[in-house]
Amino acid sequence: MNAYPFMLILENIHKFYDRLEVLKGISMEVRKGELVTFVGPSGCGKTTLLRIIGGFTNLDSGEVILDGQRIDHLPPNLRDTRICFQNYALFPHMTVAENISYGLKIKKWKKGKIQERVEELLKLVQLEGLGGRMIDKLSGGQQQRVALARALSLEPKVLLLDEPLSNLDANLRLTMRGEIRKLQERLKITTIFVTHDQFEAMSISDRIVVMKEGAIQQVGSPIEIYERPANEFIAGFVGFVNFLDGTVEKVDIGLGKATASTPIGEVHFVPEWNINVGDRVKLVIRPETINISGAEPVGMNNTFQGEVEIGMYVGSLAKYTVMVKGEKFIIDQPNPRETFFKPRAKVYLSMPENIHLLMRN
Amino acid sequence: MARAETLIVPQPNLLEKIKNFFNAELINILAALLFLLLAIFLLYPIIAVLIKSIKGPQGFTLSYYIKFFIKGYYFRSLLNTLALGFINTAVCLVVGFCMAYLTTRGPLALRKPLKIVSMMPLIAPPYLFAISLIILFGHNGIMTKAFGIKWSLYGFTGVVVAQTLAFIPLAYLMIENTLKSLNPNLEESAYDMGASEVRIIRTITIPLLAPGILKAGLLVFVMTIAEFGNAAILGGRTPFLAPDTYMMIIGEADFEMGSVLSVVLIIPCIIIFFLHNYMLTGKKFTTIGGKPVASEPRKMTPFVQIPFLLISCAAGLAIVISFAMVLMASFTKILGINNQMVLTHIKNFNSNLAIYNSIKVSLVAAFIGAIIGTLLAYVIIRGKFFGRSFIEMISLSGFALPGTVIGIGYLLAFNTPPFKLTGGIMILALNCVFRFLAVGVEAGISKLHQINIEIEEASSDLGANFMTTFYKIVLPLMFPAFIAGFIYTFMTTIVSLSAVVFLVSPGFELAAVRIFDAAVYGEIGIASATTMKLVVIVVICMMILNYLTKKTGFDISQKKGVI
Repeated sequence: MNAYPFMLILENIHKFYDRLEVLKGISMEVRKGELVTFVGPSGCGKTTLLRIIGGFTNLDSGEVILDGQRIDHLPPNLRDTRICFQNYALFPHMTVAENISYGLKIKKWKKGKIQERVEELLKLVQLEGLGGRMIDKLSGGQQQRVALARALSLEPKVLLLDEPLSNLDANLRLTMRGEIRKLQERLKITTIFVTHDQFEAMSISDRIVVMKEGAIQQVGSPIEIYERPANEFIAGFVGFVNFLDGTVEKVDIGLGKATASTPIGEVHFVPEWNINVGDRVKLVIRPETINISGAEPVGMNNTFQGEVEIGMYVGSLAKYTVMVKGEKFIIDQPNPRETFFKPRAKVYLSMPENIHLLMRN
Repeated sequence: MARAETLIVPQPNLLEKIKNFFNAELINILAALLFLLLAIFLLYPIIAVLIKSIKGPQGFTLSYYIKFFIKGYYFRSLLNTLALGFINTAVCLVVGFCMAYLTTRGPLALRKPLKIVSMMPLIAPPYLFAISLIILFGHNGIMTKAFGIKWSLYGFTGVVVAQTLAFIPLAYLMIENTLKSLNPNLEESAYDMGASEVRIIRTITIPLLAPGILKAGLLVFVMTIAEFGNAAILGGRTPFLAPDTYMMIIGEADFEMGSVLSVVLIIPCIIIFFLHNYMLTGKKFTTIGGKPVASEPRKMTPFVQIPFLLISCAAGLAIVISFAMVLMASFTKILGINNQMVLTHIKNFNSNLAIYNSIKVSLVAAFIGAIIGTLLAYVIIRGKFFGRSFIEMISLSGFALPGTVIGIGYLLAFNTPPFKLTGGIMILALNCVFRFLAVGVEAGISKLHQINIEIEEASSDLGANFMTTFYKIVLPLMFPAFIAGFIYTFMTTIVSLSAVVFLVSPGFELAAVRIFDAAVYGEIGIASATTMKLVVIVVICMMILNYLTKKTGFDISQKKGVI
């Protein structure tokens, strides 16, 4: 059993609410010790999926296999998964220590051992000495830690986190994000993290599962998801993107280069896979990959002249909307300083050659 | 050119000064007027009762109180009342909890029907259950004769059963409310940690519900000990405070002892009112927000489900049977003895006249009550004068005051000039206005909380004075609360018995009093038919309220859980 690489396998899970199919055959595997994030717009089914894994919602068909054993027929208390709810669901009439030891008491641990374990967990989440506090005397971040400690108390095989950071303010969210990741890597605990925040997903995960309307759109590492999105939805979901429709004109297999004709002219690029002349493609160009300059750069291949429509100076970068032959481009210019361009300025845009491609029908 | 020269300040004349003062102080003047009304129609009668109980022929005396505690009969009446209160409250809370748990956590198919049944007593006057118990277990009751049951209905147990059935909805509604607002993730977390359902209920659900349950308990207790009809109809030779007061006044014209009984009855009510108020402002368990995921019904364990179902179904069945009995008795000659279908009870002239009178009185009460309630809510929220919270407390205290006490108070206070009101229709309406003011005021307050004060400020910024703003802005926005207060006062007044039973004059009978008399004299057909007519009227009122709630999105039915 130990040689088995997967801690959790979801096999063709379907779920209906009344007639509405909210999960349309979800299948995937989670490796041992991995942090996987389910991300998607609200209503995509990510929380329902998490609740199905935890045992709070029944699935209509499919299998949930935890460490080689099917668990989808078991109630939550008989599964080796523990959930941390979005609102923490801490018992407000109990102290921190009572909250953390709730499950241990049910498992009939010895008193001394419970105390030991509670101390250990408090230390783990950096709340030493706060065991006697009532829940409402804690800050939001502290409550978050208590919820984590409680979920970890029974050493679950899989930790389920439902939007754990959404109730914290922006700064604290960043800190807790880092701490959760640190804790998870230290304990090597398999974790499923649900969020609607794509940047949170990008920054914390080993792998990301992008969901939409009850179906998985793409599974991959943050870099894969960002650099090689499988479709327009994902490309647009993880940050802004410029799309440029085109048709392949030339393919040079020897050099590994190709050219596409687009409304703004010929664009040269390095194809990621085999394409043929005449293929209808969509070029995916991230705003920060486009270089903007006032003078025509020398020796660059994909350079186009345009006019600044809107320029917004944000400090660390400047954001522009630039029109090139009637096509609108969004561009991020890092560290703009004095080179910031005002509206109606004539500028040159240079695009890289390693452009991600989507096929058009 | 010196600037000062161009600044000519017009000196207002006296008339304008008065007008300005009036405009600026209007809200305070209004508050003073309202307070005067509360003082005359709520405080003064109670003080009159208090004075009556300590005023002997030679001035101050405690002899009546001494008599109360020495003479076993009176003291037993107090003990019985308290015992009734405790038993009743305990039973109502248990049944209410079981029902509320099932309708919020239980099998889906069961939720709706159980909820409907548990709320049914809301549409009936409490004494409906006394009547149905007489039909079933009275001297000539159906069950008495069919099975030779030797249970003596008239006495303590009979009152307990009738009261329990009558006050189940109150306990149910309040507990269901708190159960619904309990974050389902809390119970799920406990479940996730391996707790059994019994353990979850014991360690999570009940401790978290405790404030809500306690509040429901206090309310049921007050309502029970103050309830007049059931105890008077079914009490038999067992003394209870509320009906004894009635006997003292109407039977023996002993106002002093009647007042003593009233004071004794009002003390626990006032204590509980303060406890209840204290708890409203007191500690509440707050939880972090977050989407409450629609929790799928968990499978209840049989250990919980079976006893809960048994208790709920027993109570539900008793409620349904009670309604059925009264309905059948309305259309039969003498149910259980002569089951011939007749319409004589429904067509009974006196009964219909009493209904007509009741509607008249209730309309008057509703109109006055809605106006006063709306105005009170306004001065409480927008006023800035000293003693605002005191006015709020007084205006909400009505529900805690036993009707019998108000009844005697009105008899004592308004029998002589300057406020001679006895014998008229106004006294019947006014006592209800002030007793049932709480819901109208609460509705107004919660509506006002939704109306941003900046809307009113914008109005005065555009040049409107207080009156214009109030008339053009506040009143239209508060209209749903006004209507809610109107209908609520109407339907509580029309079934109300305990105070008006002291105040009706011969020749102007009210439906509730007619039912009471008929039930006491064994005219079950008339009592049932009149009760059913009241039920129909209340149902119509509730339907209107429901419609308004849907239409305006403004819900008063949950206010305080009192309805």
